[in-house]
Amino acid sequence: MAVTATEPAARPSTAPTPRSGAAAVTAGLVLLVAVLAVVDITQGTAAVGASEVWRALTGQADAGDASVVVASRLPRMTAGLLVGAVLGMAGAVLQAVSRNVLASPDTLAVNAGSYLALGIAGATGLSLPMIASSGVAFLGGLAAAAVVLGLSGLGTGTVRLVLAGTALMLGLNSMTEGLLLLFPEQTEGLYQWNQGSIGQNGFDGVLQMLPVALIGLVGLLLTARRVDALALGDDAARGLGVPVRATRVTVVVLAALLSAAAVTLAGPIGFVGLCAPALVRPLVRRFRGYARSRAALPAAALTGAALVLGSDVVLRTLVSDDLSVAVPTGVVTSLVGAVFLVVMAIRMRDTAGAGAPDRLRTPSRTAFLVTVGVLVVVLVGLVIAAVLVGDTKLLLGDVVNWTQGRAGRSVTFVLDTRVPRVLAALGAGAALALAGTLVQAVTRNPLAEPSVLGVTGGGALGAVILVTTAPLATTWGVAGAAFAGSAITAVVVFGLAARGGFQQNRLVLVGIGTASGTAALISLLIVLTDPFNATKALTWLSGSTYGRTMPDVVPVALALVVGIGVAVARRTELDLVSLDEDTPRLLGMRLAPGRLGFLVLSVVLSSTAVACAGTIGFVGLVAPHAARALVGRRHVRVVPVAILLGAVLVCAADLIGRTVIAPSQLGAGLMTAVIGTPYFLYLLVRSRR
Amino acid sequence: MRRLLLTAAATTAAALTLAACGTTEPAADKPEEKKASEAITLTDGKGTEVKLDGPATKVVATEWNVVESLLSLGVEPVGVADVKGYKTWDTSVPLKGDPKDIGTRGEPSMDTVASLAPDLIVATTDLPPAAVKQMREVAPVLEVRSADGAGQIDQMLENVDLIAKATGTTDKAESIREDFEAKVAEGKKALTDAGMAGKDIAFADGYVTSNQVSIRPYTATSLIGEVHEAIGLKNAWKVKGDEAYGLGATDVEGLTDLPKDVQFAYIGNDEDPNATPFTSALTENSVWKSLPFVKAGDVHRLNDGIWMFGGPGSMEAYIDAVVGALTK
Repeated sequence: MAVTATEPAARPSTAPTPRSGAAAVTAGLVLLVAVLAVVDITQGTAAVGASEVWRALTGQADAGDASVVVASRLPRMTAGLLVGAVLGMAGAVLQAVSRNVLASPDTLAVNAGSYLALGIAGATGLSLPMIASSGVAFLGGLAAAAVVLGLSGLGTGTVRLVLAGTALMLGLNSMTEGLLLLFPEQTEGLYQWNQGSIGQNGFDGVLQMLPVALIGLVGLLLTARRVDALALGDDAARGLGVPVRATRVTVVVLAALLSAAAVTLAGPIGFVGLCAPALVRPLVRRFRGYARSRAALPAAALTGAALVLGSDVVLRTLVSDDLSVAVPTGVVTSLVGAVFLVVMAIRMRDTAGAGAPDRLRTPSRTAFLVTVGVLVVVLVGLVIAAVLVGDTKLLLGDVVNWTQGRAGRSVTFVLDTRVPRVLAALGAGAALALAGTLVQAVTRNPLAEPSVLGVTGGGALGAVILVTTAPLATTWGVAGAAFAGSAITAVVVFGLAARGGFQQNRLVLVGIGTASGTAALISLLIVLTDPFNATKALTWLSGSTYGRTMPDVVPVALALVVGIGVAVARRTELDLVSLDEDTPRLLGMRLAPGRLGFLVLSVVLSSTAVACAGTIGFVGLVAPHAARALVGRRHVRVVPVAILLGAVLVCAADLIGRTVIAPSQLGAGLMTAVIGTPYFLYLLVRSRR
Repeated sequence: MRRLLLTAAATTAAALTLAACGTTEPAADKPEEKKASEAITLTDGKGTEVKLDGPATKVVATEWNVVESLLSLGVEPVGVADVKGYKTWDTSVPLKGDPKDIGTRGEPSMDTVASLAPDLIVATTDLPPAAVKQMREVAPVLEVRSADGAGQIDQMLENVDLIAKATGTTDKAESIREDFEAKVAEGKKALTDAGMAGKDIAFADGYVTSNQVSIRPYTATSLIGEVHEAIGLKNAWKVKGDEAYGLGATDVEGLTDLPKDVQFAYIGNDEDPNATPFTSALTENSVWKSLPFVKAGDVHRLNDGIWMFGGPGSMEAYIDAVVGALTK
């Protein structure tokens, strides 16, 4: 298993340590944040530079300049400071109590919950005063965190936390994107808001969030000693008389409170909660003073503030004023954070041993055959339903006429447009499921999935670059661009993670970093090239089969044929590779070429799926998990079941997306997440026993 | 899970046997004879040649500006994308009939369009090419350029002419053009008489999300910006707009760049208060309150329901509204 056993975030030391080094570093951080804050105040769209700011602060400026400083610059700077500090600290404690370098407000789905809550408020036309809309975002974020923690079981395992959080985040974000597509006027600006921006309308927001943030920060500092004890392990902490469960609950609630406060102030500023503690961690080794949370937490807070303010300063320095308003700060923190995360992941000493494989019963052969049979019947039924049902309901006789070329004008048209969509959904679903199965087997990592590893994101980036620069690109052109993007990302991700074998935490960390980086680049590209057509981009990114024609389906179909062939031919090798590091070696197998082959195959599969139906997340994660839960872990069984499940999932999602709210429609990718999330969470709950 | 799968399989099997036989349409009707006499050939905004058997009467429209043009020309479209949205945002040329909703503007439903069996589909160049290609299977598609920063008014009137030719309403198009020019002249005269000629004007809309206010300036290359110039006003925005629509982006601070004596105008919507920041979120903002034109009371809320990207009908309503506000 990935991310389970990592070294404690802070290793308390019993030896007497000099504190002066840590103090000096902290002072340096304070200075850095102060400099960034001062620079930030002098930047903005108004012609108010350093000298005007100075005069405003000393009370000599005219009313206009003074009001810009007081109502716009200072609130923005304070918000940046506050948001960065709060996220950095929240991330640090979450990582400490969960002993998981991936725990952060992002992975607890707090941001996604707030985003959805605001989206619902916008779509239903609720116009809320600032404090109430903050309240809505706050409740949404807390609710999401509660669901994640409730389902994953507090303190029972960290992979579950990340899995539940990532799953819920995907599902919630998809729902919000659906709302954005359906209510483009009502939710205008929300897409941009979701990228995170620290601009403020006066001091009100900061002042209202300040008490919340202070309560959270002080509360966390008060629990810091207990957090240190937890780092020794649950039993050791209990031995020291620390209430383990109560401490965890308190810390997580406080951290959720802090991140919700940050979200309401500035939208989801990605990555700071994950990155800031990661940057502080190496300091622990060098300066023993940081071994204690009381010193490390403020350092994480300062690092977070420096990240946010630094991103804002860099953005406003590099980009012209008009554009810097359009480019959200969160895009920059995501890019900066992604690079940092990747670098950190490479330098990290990965101590994770080969985790115990999922404890799964191996069902009988009959059970397997029944499962496959039932799935085939469901799939056939779905395909027939998908072809017959739509805005125009058809009957089988129509389809028979159509296949014989004898159908009337209207039926011909409906089927000509509908059948390619059904096939695209089937192909993309099956390809993504197979790709997910291969990657999970090769990396022995339940979180490894083309979209989590950034491969899908890279494909989407390649396709979006081509689509925005050459609007008349052909099917094969888009497929090629998607493949190039996926291939480059895959080479980067696997290349960087390859050092010392595909260490598990490192792979996922590099992958998540890359995924966020590509997502930020896509947002940036959209904002810069077509700022008023977010709907167009969202349509494409949400994984839609809209407007597909037969030729669009060909690339993915070819990839699927090859993929299934290889997977069937080399099923035993897949079993061995997925077992552990040593067994294949003992059997005299050369691991590297086989692994590489499977990875290349999964890249081809996922990139053709992206070219065919946009970015459909989740299938590659859910389908293999579900398949293993149903039929055990042998690939001769997992592969067909996963492929069938993937096809069923995307086909059903496409069918529902096209019909339920007709004539409006939602992309299959959105529906996949909406359907997939509850099922995935159910799997998690069930496996808790 | 397994029981769930079994139930699903059983249900689908049952449903299929019960419901799926027969046809909804008799097989193989012969292609109809085409009347060659009235045939129309047009070149649309993408340079595609569009052939019609005769003037179209059953028309489907995928964007609000072409809906508006059709209505102005006296053609009631049978299918319109996002009917409710049109009724909220474009009341200058109201939708009277009861057209079929064909879905969102970005992804109109092919099935619904096909079921309407239109003679003509009027779309804009914003629709994805793949969708246009499929629509051509149903009916001829006339793609008009939705916006052109090099000449918005010309583009708007050209679009009306093009749609008029396709629907056999060229006489009406002529009078629309004349009415629009008359309205521009009328507005220009009223402003000159009131001593407002050559005044700086800034039009914007904005939206509030959480506690952030974004402002979207309509620069000189936007449709509204060109209308300003036509009636003798001067656009005050220094922000650069995008190529097609001439829209920029700024924040409250950016408003300090506007000249002190500028006239500031905006259109909101009572049904959507988040799109009306100037009467809500900004009223307490000290940058906003300290702006000279806000202090002088030169901020004008124009009537709701004037679609800023609409056709001549909306722009005439806009001229009335802005002239009315400035000469009050």
